[in-house]
Amino acid sequence: MSAIELRGITKRYPPREPGLPQLELLRGVDLTVHRGEFVAVEGQSGSGKSTLLHLLGGLDRDFDGAARVLGCDLRAVTDAELAALRHTQIGFVFQSFNLLPALTALENVLLPDFFGDGVPDAERRAREALDRVGLSDKAGARPAALSGGERQRVAIARALLARPPLLLADEPTGNLDASTGEGVIDLFRQLHWARWR
Amino acid sequence: MSAGGVALGTGCLVFFLALGAGLQGVVNEVFPVSTREVEVVVPQLALGNLLGEQKIDDATVAKLRAVRGVAAAYPKMQLRIPAVSRYNGLFFGREVRMGLEVVATGLMPELVGPDARMPFEDHGEGQPVPVVANRRLLELYNKVFAPQRNLPRLTESMLIGFQIPLELGRSFVTARTLANPQETSMQLVGFSERATLAGVSMPLAAIQRINRKYGADADTYSSVLVRAQSADDVTDVAAAVRKLGLEIDDAEQRYAVQIGAAVELVTLALSLLAALITGLAAVNTMQAFYASVRERTREIGILRAVGATRSDVAAVVLAEAAATGLAGGVVGVVLARTVAALLDRLARTGLPDFPFKPPTFFSFRAEHVALGVGVALLAALLGALIPARAAARLDPAKALTE
Ligand SMILES: Nc1ncnc2c1ncn2[C@@H]1O[C@H](COP(=O)(O)OP(=O)(O)OP(=O)(O)O)[C@@H](O)[C@H]1O
Ligand SMILES: [Mg+2]
Repeated sequence: MSAIELRGITKRYPPREPGLPQLELLRGVDLTVHRGEFVAVEGQSGSGKSTLLHLLGGLDRDFDGAARVLGCDLRAVTDAELAALRHTQIGFVFQSFNLLPALTALENVLLPDFFGDGVPDAERRAREALDRVGLSDKAGARPAALSGGERQRVAIARALLARPPLLLADEPTGNLDASTGEGVIDLFRQLHWARWR
Repeated sequence: MSAGGVALGTGCLVFFLALGAGLQGVVNEVFPVSTREVEVVVPQLALGNLLGEQKIDDATVAKLRAVRGVAAAYPKMQLRIPAVSRYNGLFFGREVRMGLEVVATGLMPELVGPDARMPFEDHGEGQPVPVVANRRLLELYNKVFAPQRNLPRLTESMLIGFQIPLELGRSFVTARTLANPQETSMQLVGFSERATLAGVSMPLAAIQRINRKYGADADTYSSVLVRAQSADDVTDVAAAVRKLGLEIDDAEQRYAVQIGAAVELVTLALSLLAALITGLAAVNTMQAFYASVRERTREIGILRAVGATRSDVAAVVLAEAAATGLAGGVVGVVLARTVAALLDRLARTGLPDFPFKPPTFFSFRAEHVALGVGVALLAALLGALIPARAAARLDPAKALTE
C-alpha cells in the first residue's frame, strides 16, 4: 500500500481582489509515494510547495480531487479523525517558527503529548528524540537561547515523538546557513535510513 | 493587564462585602438582637388598660410561662417611687459633686447570671442595694461623657464594688418628695447587656420591697422578657401573647433591622459597582485575549499540526484565561485585605474615639473570599469565551502561513 496517493488534485485560491481571475495553484496533480521512500518536491517560490504539504498533512481540506494518506481519505474523515492522523501518523517540520517561545526545548518536544490520547512513555521518548538530534544537553533551554539549526533539530525531535511513519518537512533548511542546512538534511537521511533500511 | 482589571473588580467586591459584614457586626453590637426573646408589655392604648383591667401580675406571668414554645419568662418592674443619688467626694482621684434622679428597673437575678461579679440579690432593708448597669452606658460614659467633662476613663473592674448613696422617696422636684425618705446606698456589682439602658437595674425583690414599703404598686410588672424555646417558636409565641391582650415591644429590634437594612442596601449598591468593574474587566479580558490569539496565530497553527483538535485549542485559551482569572482574584483579595488593614489603622489613629468604635470595620468571611475568586474566574472565562472560539476556528494552513 502506498503512503500517499493523490489523484487529480486541484487547489484554487479566491482572487486577491474582486475582478481578478482566481489563482489556480495546483492543477490535476497525481502523486504516489510508497512507504520508506524519501521524496523531495522542487519548485519556484510561490509554486505551491507549502500548499501541497499542508494538503498532504490534512491541514487544508479545501481542494478538488482524491487524496489518501496512510489509508485515510482526507476529504471523507471528520475533523477529529484528521487531528488524530496528524497526532499519531504525521510529523511536521516547518521552515521557521516551529517552536512555542514560552516552552523549553523538552516541553516543545513533548507538545504532542498534551493532545489526543497523549503519547505513550512520552518523557523518555522526548529525551531519546532530543538525544537522537544531538541536543540532550539543551533540554531545559528556551527557543530564544538556541541557534537556528538547534531550533530546527528540536522541531525534528518533536516530529519524531509519536514515531510517525510519515515526516513532512517544508523547507526545513530554508532559514539556515549552508553548512547547518547540510547537517539538518544529513539528520533526515540518517533518520530515514535507521527506520526503513 | 486584563488580570489587573479582574483583580480590581474582585478586590472591590470582596472589600465592599467585608465592609458590609463588618458594619453589620457593629450594628449588632450596638443593638444586640436576640432572635429567641421578646419583651412583652401592656398595650398603651388598650380598652382594658383604660378600665384598669389589663395588667401583668403573677397570674399573667404564669399564663405566659404556660404558652407552648415558651422556655422562660422573666418579669421586670420599675421603681415606682422617686429616688436620688447625691455624691460629693473623690471620684477616682477627682473631686466630684453630682446629683442624679435615679431610674431603676427590677430584674430577676437569673437574667443577669454570671454578669454580676458580686451577689445580685436583695439583702433587705438597711443594706446596700446591688445594681447592674448596661455595658453600653459605660461605653457612652467613656467615649462621650468623660472626655467632655475631663473625667477619668473607667473600666468595668475599676467600677465593680463602687458604692454611692441612694435616697429613696426623695426627688429634686420638691413636690414629688415623699413624707418619709430613707437614706441607703447602692453598690455596682456588674455590667450586663440585660440591664436597662434607662438607669440602673436592681434585684426584682428589692424593687418590690421598696415599692411596697412606700405604698406603690408592688404586684404589677412593667414588662416580661419571654424567651422562646427556639427562634422558630417566636412567631407562635408572639401570637399567643397578643391573644392574652398583651403586646410585644420591639422598638429596639426595629431600629436594628432598619439600620441593618440600610447597611445591606449600601453594601448591595457598592457590590453592584464592583460587579460593573468586574464586567468591564471581562470586556477588557476579551480584548486582551483577542489580541493574544491574533498575535499567536502561528503557535495555534503549530498546535493543530501536532494533533490538537479545535476544541483542544479552545481549551488551551480557556485554561490560560482561568489562570489569569484565578491570579487576578487572589491579587484582588490580597489588595482588598491590604486596603482594609490600612484603613483600619487610619481609623485607629485618625478617628476620634467614638462609642462602640470597633477595632476593625471589616469582616472578611471565607464565603466572600470564595465568591470574589469565583467571580474573577467567571469574568476571565466569560471574557475569553469568544476569543477561544475564534482561536478554535482558525484555519491551520492559513495560521501557519501568517
Ligand atoms: N490564503 C491564500 N489566499 C490566496 N493566495 C494564497 C493564499 N495562501 C497562499 N497563497 C498564494 O499561493 C501561492 C503559493 O504559496 P505557497 O506558500 O504554497 O508557495 P511555495 O511554493 O511554498 O513558496 P515558497 O518557496 O516561497 O515557500 C503564493 O503565490 C501565495 O501568495
Ligand atoms: Mg513555502
